[in-house]
Amino acid sequence: MLYVELIAQGLIQGSIYALIALGLTLVYGLLRILHVAHAAFFTLGGYVGVMVANQTGSLAAAIVAAMIVAGIGGILVFRLCYQPILHQPPFVPLIASIGLYIAAEELFRIVFGPSGLTYKYAFLQGQVIAFGSLRFKEAEIAVMLGSAAIIGVLSLLQTRTRIGVACQATVSDPQMAESFGISLRKVGDINFFVGSALAAFAGVMVSVLNNMVEPTMGSVPSYKALAIIVLGGLGSVRGTLVAALVLGVVESFGTIYLGHFLDRNAIAFAFLILVLMWRPQGLFARS
Amino acid sequence: MNYKSLAIAATAAFAVQFGVPAWAQVKIGINVPLTGFAAADGKSALDGAKLAVADANAKGGINGEKIELVIYDDQASPKEAAPAATKLIEKDKVVAGVSGSYSASTRAAAPLFQAAKVPYVVAYSIHPDVTLAGDYVFRTATMGEVQGRAGAKLASDLGKKNVVLITLKNDFGQALAAGFKEAAPKFGVKIINEYEYGMPDRQFGALISKVKSDNPDLLYASGYYFTAGPLVNQLRAAGVSVPVIGQEGYDSEKFIEIAGAASEGTLVTTSLDRDSNSPVTQAFLKEFRAAYNYGADMVGASTFTATAIAIEGLKKTGGKGGEALKKAIEGGSFSTPIGKLSFNDLHEVKKDVQVQVVKGKAFHRHSVISDPVLLAPPTKAK
Amino acid sequence: MEYEISLATTMAISVLFALSLNLITGFCGQISLGHAAFLGVGAYASGMLAKAGVPFLLTLPLAMLLSGALGIVVGFASLRVRADFLAITTMGVGFLFVGIVRQQDALGGEMGISAIPDTGMSKLAFMLLAVAMAAAAGLLSTYVRRCWMGRVFAAIAEDEDTVRVMGIDVPRFKLTAFALGTALAGLAGGLYAQHLKFIAPDSFGFIESITVLSMVVVGGIGSVVGVSVSAAVLSVLPSWFQVIGDYKLLVYGGLLFLMMRFSPGGMAALVARIFHPDRWGSK
Repeated sequence: MLYVELIAQGLIQGSIYALIALGLTLVYGLLRILHVAHAAFFTLGGYVGVMVANQTGSLAAAIVAAMIVAGIGGILVFRLCYQPILHQPPFVPLIASIGLYIAAEELFRIVFGPSGLTYKYAFLQGQVIAFGSLRFKEAEIAVMLGSAAIIGVLSLLQTRTRIGVACQATVSDPQMAESFGISLRKVGDINFFVGSALAAFAGVMVSVLNNMVEPTMGSVPSYKALAIIVLGGLGSVRGTLVAALVLGVVESFGTIYLGHFLDRNAIAFAFLILVLMWRPQGLFARS
Repeated sequence: MNYKSLAIAATAAFAVQFGVPAWAQVKIGINVPLTGFAAADGKSALDGAKLAVADANAKGGINGEKIELVIYDDQASPKEAAPAATKLIEKDKVVAGVSGSYSASTRAAAPLFQAAKVPYVVAYSIHPDVTLAGDYVFRTATMGEVQGRAGAKLASDLGKKNVVLITLKNDFGQALAAGFKEAAPKFGVKIINEYEYGMPDRQFGALISKVKSDNPDLLYASGYYFTAGPLVNQLRAAGVSVPVIGQEGYDSEKFIEIAGAASEGTLVTTSLDRDSNSPVTQAFLKEFRAAYNYGADMVGASTFTATAIAIEGLKKTGGKGGEALKKAIEGGSFSTPIGKLSFNDLHEVKKDVQVQVVKGKAFHRHSVISDPVLLAPPTKAK
Repeated sequence: MEYEISLATTMAISVLFALSLNLITGFCGQISLGHAAFLGVGAYASGMLAKAGVPFLLTLPLAMLLSGALGIVVGFASLRVRADFLAITTMGVGFLFVGIVRQQDALGGEMGISAIPDTGMSKLAFMLLAVAMAAAAGLLSTYVRRCWMGRVFAAIAEDEDTVRVMGIDVPRFKLTAFALGTALAGLAGGLYAQHLKFIAPDSFGFIESITVLSMVVVGGIGSVVGVSVSAAVLSVLPSWFQVIGDYKLLVYGGLLFLMMRFSPGGMAALVARIFHPDRWGSK
């Protein structure tokens, strides 16, 4: 039973990772940049979520607001920050992105204070009892179901709508897609909007889980999400999903059974290095 | 509210808004983490230090000279703390230093103050090496190991025998765990298991699943309010209802805010007793809230204390630093918000450990652990 | 003067450290997000040896040796994975280093090592030693770039596959770059440990790796002078920024971003643009 519980906890953590890493994959697939500042939208989502929820008393309103604000922020970052330096060598956008993330984290601290904010209302704090003895927080169930639903809808949109197909085409061959009249900028807008909105959704869910947003909440996702998309094979959506869930479970078991030898980050990266030495292109290489 | 505390609060508020007046004469330096991961504690610490300075200035400063607090951010990192300390000593020529920071940065700064013979009063870093830097370094905090021993005694006072340790992986958590493990056998407390977690961790699902299967009757969990808040909240949500003992790091209103209803009943070993009947403590709590509009925590109280002790010493020497100030602090006895303090030969304080419990969304007195042998701070001999 | 001496020492160590990464990333094009691990290896080696009674000056070559040896091991990873995969792998190496050191009681664990014995040198002499080492690293860099090896490095950075096709033993050159760069980082680490007299795992983490990479990129990747100047300036920026207190990291992050956004070639390119505007006219 303990193992079942550990797997379940790993999957919960994994779905949070997945939500954050998906946006990163979308960006990488299209632009080939490691978008470290992506984690800032996770934090932004948390802050917008808490503020809207405390004003309106509605978690749904908080989620929608957070996703829209972050989505628009994502488009702005794409247009103002990345587009002008896309033709530069890869470390240029990488360092720009790191600078952006540091500045964003500081901005959160200066504007909202260093000790973070909490929810005034208790959302999803009840308990759900499943399979006899397993107990979850409502928020944990919501994270799992929510991410499954969102990812499901996204993959439907991607295959069933014109714009979704256009996005996929651009990711697999930008030049070819452009010659078919697809606007790179429009696809970029969409990818950044969707990716940042997903991160914001994750931010709201995590802030509900912990009843806390803090300026530094994005610092772990900022690098761990990178590890996940590399593990998944850089740019592969399916690979990212699998890698996120696998990493969640590895960490779940690792913190219990390896905790005395390595910390959580080191476990995650030891796993990453092992996989990369075995498969240098990640779990699911792009075709 | 009487007029005196109103005046003090007003002065404090003034000082906070407009910084330090230009005609200041006696300089005290402080290193605090204002940016980076420890910024929240840094703010609390700085607020405490500023209040102590404002208090003293409102009462006429030192021989009529105003006290200026020179503030440097050290990001709680040794790399930033070393130049900050050198600058305080050499450029600003401070007569005394205060550490409102964590152990790593304080350990880097302490030898520099020692070498320059500038007395350095450390508020809340708990690492043993701090006072080993030399005789110009003083500490007002109870060392981590000592607090850990008090934790073990508390466990046995509660009649609990089977304990699981949840240890934060940094020097603070390690020191607490070491003290707890050392004292546990003496009280017949059995440690069934120990788990470790890192500073950035906020999700404890896996760890809690395992704790449940261990079935302990008490948890001794080290951490700061930003890790302990989510931890206690998640523990209760997962149906773990045994008592949790925390420490100084929990000691902040934010802990209660984050953990919400789950925080009720959490025990904390700390140095600030909210229900103390000491007028100094009560005046401090009141002034702090009036000046900053939030309740003082352990960090704020300790840094206030450290700063106030430096000021008291300076009053005795008439503003002179160096050896005279060292001797004044060494020989003095100080009434502070965290109790009556005097320093031993290693410049550590001996004080009781306050056990606070969360009741009705606030910290209240649970008990006091005073066991001179168990809580003895290290001395030079050791 | 002591404050200035201390700052100058910090600057010199940072220049040395940044130049060491410049050898790997700037010259040979192998991006590393975990370079601080080697600073850490050097610092721990030198600190532990000094505590065991080894004279300070002797600890430095030993620190370089150990750091360089581990560098070669990591270099093997660069033979297996490339570009962004390599960046993330080296980042993993950094996290692994910190994670492992944290758990070693022999290395002081979380508590780190303090009270590293005095070098016996005056602060001024120590500063001069650090400056001399940084200058030597600068000269070495300039020499490497000009010799045959440096040209191969540049070619690998430009287009590895073509170099391979030309029959050049690419792995050997990559490993050489890693060995050289990490050994120099180990030297910087040894000086760092002796300068601060206190080291802890967190001082060699991801943030430090990012900081040194920023120094290299802001200076102008591959430019010895640019990297030296940017490392010297960026290393003491936080101390100077005490004036703007609360906003210093905001300004730091903002500057980093603006530099990349408006002058991706770093300071070297910025200077070139100011003094030779015609070269940019046609762009």
